[in-house]
Amino acid sequence: MATASSIRPPRAALVLLLLALSFSLTLAAHFEGFGSDDLHSAHADAASADDEDDEGLDVELPPPPRISLSTSTPSPPVTTTTTTTSAPNPNPDPNPTLTPPNPTPTLDLWDEDEFEGIPVPEAASSDESSTPAEAAPSDPAADAAAEAAPAPPRRPAELLRAYTVEIACVSFLICFLLNYFTGKRQNEAIALAWATRFATRDSIFDKNFSLLGTGDGKDTPLLMKEGQDVFKFYASGRRYCQGMLATMEMRARHDLLSKLVELVFPRKDTITFEVVMNEEAMDHVMLAVARKKAAKTMQKEERDLQKFAGVLTSAPAGRRWVADELAVVAESKEVAGDMITEAVLDQVLGDKAFEKFGKWFISLHFSDQLAGSYKKVLSFKFVLPDASNMAEMTRLVALVPYYIDLVGRYKLSNHARSKTEAARTKASQEAFREQQGLRQEALQRKKAEKKKLMEEAEAKLSAEALRKKEEKERARQMKKSMPKVKMLRS
Amino acid sequence: MKEATSSGGGGGGGAGVNDPRQPSTARQYTPPKLSPQDLPIDYAGFLAVVFGVLGVMLRYKVCSWIAIIFCAQSLVNMKNFENDLKQLSMAFM
Repeated sequence: MATASSIRPPRAALVLLLLALSFSLTLAAHFEGFGSDDLHSAHADAASADDEDDEGLDVELPPPPRISLSTSTPSPPVTTTTTTTSAPNPNPDPNPTLTPPNPTPTLDLWDEDEFEGIPVPEAASSDESSTPAEAAPSDPAADAAAEAAPAPPRRPAELLRAYTVEIACVSFLICFLLNYFTGKRQNEAIALAWATRFATRDSIFDKNFSLLGTGDGKDTPLLMKEGQDVFKFYASGRRYCQGMLATMEMRARHDLLSKLVELVFPRKDTITFEVVMNEEAMDHVMLAVARKKAAKTMQKEERDLQKFAGVLTSAPAGRRWVADELAVVAESKEVAGDMITEAVLDQVLGDKAFEKFGKWFISLHFSDQLAGSYKKVLSFKFVLPDASNMAEMTRLVALVPYYIDLVGRYKLSNHARSKTEAARTKASQEAFREQQGLRQEALQRKKAEKKKLMEEAEAKLSAEALRKKEEKERARQMKKSMPKVKMLRS
Repeated sequence: MKEATSSGGGGGGGAGVNDPRQPSTARQYTPPKLSPQDLPIDYAGFLAVVFGVLGVMLRYKVCSWIAIIFCAQSLVNMKNFENDLKQLSMAFM
């Protein structure tokens, strides 16, 4: 700044030129981020070249070193204006003439990224008043100096502005942490309410299963927590089935970010019961019930339904049927009619009951051909109510043991059975063929790879060896073919 | 409501045996075997790594902060069975 004032008015044109030059350089520096060193040196070079021009123009000029200094080490004057304790500054301002024009100190101070996006009014003013060449490195340097200063008279507003990002992030993290604990407790409360309602002594699952919980049945917790939003309940020891696993998937209440996402895409707490049936206890039953749209996607996406079942377009003649919103996907009408009994229609799936309990129902899916570790599985998917309204899903939960017995006792009629049998043998044959095809493909691929490897190895041999080999081959073939010809002639 | 429960559960057991329980067939729960490849993708962890690298490479402080936030999310969403599969130590740098 001192040098800036020493420059005389006649050189206004030159100053303007410098201004333009340095402005473009500053822009470049701001966009680049990297290679600021090069920029600086280029800067300094350009400035010093201009200084030489200066000398040619004006004789009364102060010695060039001063000007070149002003361009390369612009920080000292700025630091003096803002603070007195800028420790990292190696150029003490009392004797600025002694310091050589090295770009490193400015680099040290100029940590542009650290103070990006923070508007500083003083920097702007210095921009206008100082030499244009100085403008580029000066404002971040000023910031750096100002930041480094432990001076108490800084206004809190300024401090706030300087640490906006940090303050925002830390406060967000604190919110995140608080939300984690409250959300965790909420999820646990819902899961516990469910367990106390349906899995304690003399409740529905206690009456139906002899082993409750994931342990050995004595003094083990009923619920297994598999994450902050996933709880599992296991029960076993009942006729017709091997075991039942209920998985509660809660909304991610413990996770603030997911919560924000859920504002846009709402989710519900769900519970899925998966009952693994005994091999001999389940006949060919393939049935799914869900809301119309969901049923269609299920039919398309679930492999077993896709292969064996289709959406039933009409109800079996002369019968009360499920509510209008629901669609049934089944292998045959007979199975659907036998599975969706009057009792079920009365309790849940009929028109009247569904009005009341439909909001808790998502889907049923019974299958004896499920792709997975177990083939014969009944799965029920429901929405979990709040902790206080758990009683509302009692009827839905009662469907689970009801269907275990119903499916376990069910036998198809001979006519239907022959049909389903045919479909299953066909499917298994197809699967077998597919597998064979795959195996063959794999074999072929292996062969091709081997061949390729051999070829590569051959290619690696030197041309000389190759030629020799070919010759040998040709000779052998000639030999091979010669006698044949002879034989023919003779 | 109680009626419904008993009709659902008890109604099924109408064929002579009233108690459907069979303690002899009870099996203990065996958690499904999981290989590290089958685990659900940890999007938050992935984003944390991406932002962390961005933060270091471009020296943007905001990126690093975002990385820390995603890292926290990833930690919070971790399942119990992943504990031994994953290493916690590298999380916060």
